[in-house]
Amino acid sequence: MNMIVLIKQVPDPETLVEIAASGKDLNIEPKFALNLFDEFALEEALRLKEKHGGTVKAICLGGPKAIEVLRTAVAMGADEAVLIEDESFAASDGYDTAMALSQALKKETFDIILCGRQAIDRDRGEVPQMVAQFLGLPHIGVIVKLDVANGKATAESALEGVVEVIDVGLPAIFTAQKGLNEPRVPLITGVMKAMKVQIPRVTIEDLGIAKDMQPKTTVLRYLPPKKRPAVQFIEGEPAQAAAEIVRILADVERVI
Amino acid sequence: MDTIIIFVETKGDEVRKASMELLCEGARLSAGGKFAVEAVCFGPLTLALKDRLLASTSKLVHFTDASLASYSPEGYAYALSGYAREIGAKMVMAGATGIGRDFLPRAAVILEAGMISDATAANWDNDPLTFIRPQFGGKVFAEVSFAQSPIVVTMRPNSFAMEMPEGIEGEYVERTAGVPDGTIHTTLVRRGEAKSGAVDLTEADLVVAGGRGLKAAENFKLIEDLAGLIGATVGATRSVVDARWRGQADQVGKSGKTVSPKLYIGAGISGAIHHIMGMDTSRVVVAINRDPNAIIFNYANYGIVGDLFDVLPAMIEEIKKRKERS
Ligand SMILES: Cc1cc2nc3c(=O)[nH]c(=O)nc-3n(C[C@H](O)[C@H](O)[C@H](O)COP(=O)(O)OP(=O)(O)OC[C@H]3O[C@@H](n4cnc5c(N)ncnc54)[C@H](O)[C@@H]3O)c2cc1C
Ligand SMILES: Nc1ncnc2c1ncn2[C@@H]1O[C@H](COP(=O)(O)O)[C@@H](O)[C@H]1O
Repeated sequence: MNMIVLIKQVPDPETLVEIAASGKDLNIEPKFALNLFDEFALEEALRLKEKHGGTVKAICLGGPKAIEVLRTAVAMGADEAVLIEDESFAASDGYDTAMALSQALKKETFDIILCGRQAIDRDRGEVPQMVAQFLGLPHIGVIVKLDVANGKATAESALEGVVEVIDVGLPAIFTAQKGLNEPRVPLITGVMKAMKVQIPRVTIEDLGIAKDMQPKTTVLRYLPPKKRPAVQFIEGEPAQAAAEIVRILADVERVI
Repeated sequence: MDTIIIFVETKGDEVRKASMELLCEGARLSAGGKFAVEAVCFGPLTLALKDRLLASTSKLVHFTDASLASYSPEGYAYALSGYAREIGAKMVMAGATGIGRDFLPRAAVILEAGMISDATAANWDNDPLTFIRPQFGGKVFAEVSFAQSPIVVTMRPNSFAMEMPEGIEGEYVERTAGVPDGTIHTTLVRRGEAKSGAVDLTEADLVVAGGRGLKAAENFKLIEDLAGLIGATVGATRSVVDARWRGQADQVGKSGKTVSPKLYIGAGISGAIHHIMGMDTSRVVVAINRDPNAIIFNYANYGIVGDLFDVLPAMIEEIKKRKERS
């Protein structure tokens, strides 16, 4: 079985994100991480490999620094990694990202593509489903369990409040939700291997995509989140404070 | 006139709340005269539901294909994009529910259209029209425009006012999409038991959430009792989910769900940024924590410094008293 994992490099979740003076850009501390949900995707691919044999290949579209998450993938146990290197394209919208990734995937043979449910930078949650449509493949979203046998997969999807058990023939695409597994910590031998491994880079042009493509959506400007007024503390003994907050919620805010 | 299609999700005898909000916004837009609005729904429709929908939209297009009776991303994307193309819609909108966020991206690719996911506001008067969507877990908001039509948009629940004008009598069209055999490759084998009653967290109007301050799984009864009394849905922090006091479905935050209720009550929650990211667009936030310096107070409208094991029972009593009076 051949598994491909689409992984994205994102700013570390703790990182400061500030709006530039122009309002049109973000200043983000240069601390990066492998997207949280992609760790679950990668771990699941590695477990499938351990169970069924085959290979795991990680693919990332990003700037030159994104090579780091591919090294992380190799350290965790991926057999191969490829960087589609293009800084501006990686900053584009979900549609273009999915198009570029699917162009790369057309050259691969695989049974399963695993992705994260969402990239925690732009919070779009679009790319895997779009890749699936570009490739004419089925997908099952937000999975918390995956079993594979005889060219078929059975997945548990937590798309809505209830878990649904869904069958699909392979090849197919899956998006990983927290709860799917516990991602492993790379072993030192893996880290050594990852430091030495040659990771091939391809360009957007190599994939037959024109570099000057106009994205379908554009960010005009960034806005800060709405500031909440300073907290109003409700004083008094628990019974008094409780009566007061209930009064406020019912009579002032009118939310209960 | 430009046409907007609203995808309507139904559940038994109900319209999903996220869809109803879109229909409300759609009714305001059609009254404004700038857009024509059509609602599209798939699968079986009870009479009561049909009546309700026809009082909520100027046109309802109901696709009755057997293959659309239950959800599949491929089938829904095929049918919705096919109709959008047929009528030359300018915009396709759906609630940013699990299903909406799952299949609309596929529809966007079929339509070769841009996609704006999980928007929280629309600027209908702007030229070009723009949408606002949170990024980085709500640390910043982006104003997004699009270069070409159609555009595909999902709107986060609780983004539009739930007010439906009186007197709407919609036109009803029943038809099929003709989903070709072989389009749908996934098969639903089984569906887990739905939790009875409570609305899904992402759509909930009211959320009562608990953190590690609850100390043990059984103490969540306090959170449940308060939630039950006011018709709220229960949420939890990651620490609580990792400790298996609550299921993953209840987790609010960066690696859990994003909620946007009218009221969020958080008890025994410290207010780690990862948690805040999942609830900061709530309208009114009440925090209960015995530590006056807990970070969550920076993100709350009202704070009670105290022991939740005293404050929550007192709130429950107070609400019961009020209910008896009215
Ligand atoms: C990548 C990543 C993703 C994450 N994603 C999420 C996420 O999606 N959601 C999430 O919630 N967290 C997430 N976290 C974890 C997050 O950082 C915090 O660890 C977590 O939110 C803390 O949970 P808590 O507030 O329940 O517990 P604690 O931080 O332990 O806080 C407990 C609070 O309860 C108060 N307390 C204790 N006893 C009482 C009492 N008797 N009465 C009143 N107050 C009391 C204490 O003063 C304290 O403030 C994530 C972390 C990482 C690194
Ligand atoms: N630039 C990228 N390179 C590789 N994979 C990506 C990229 N962008 C998105 N993905 C994959 O698609 C998932 C969802 O991303 P998104 O739609 O951007 O929220 C991620 O978790 C990744 O698995």
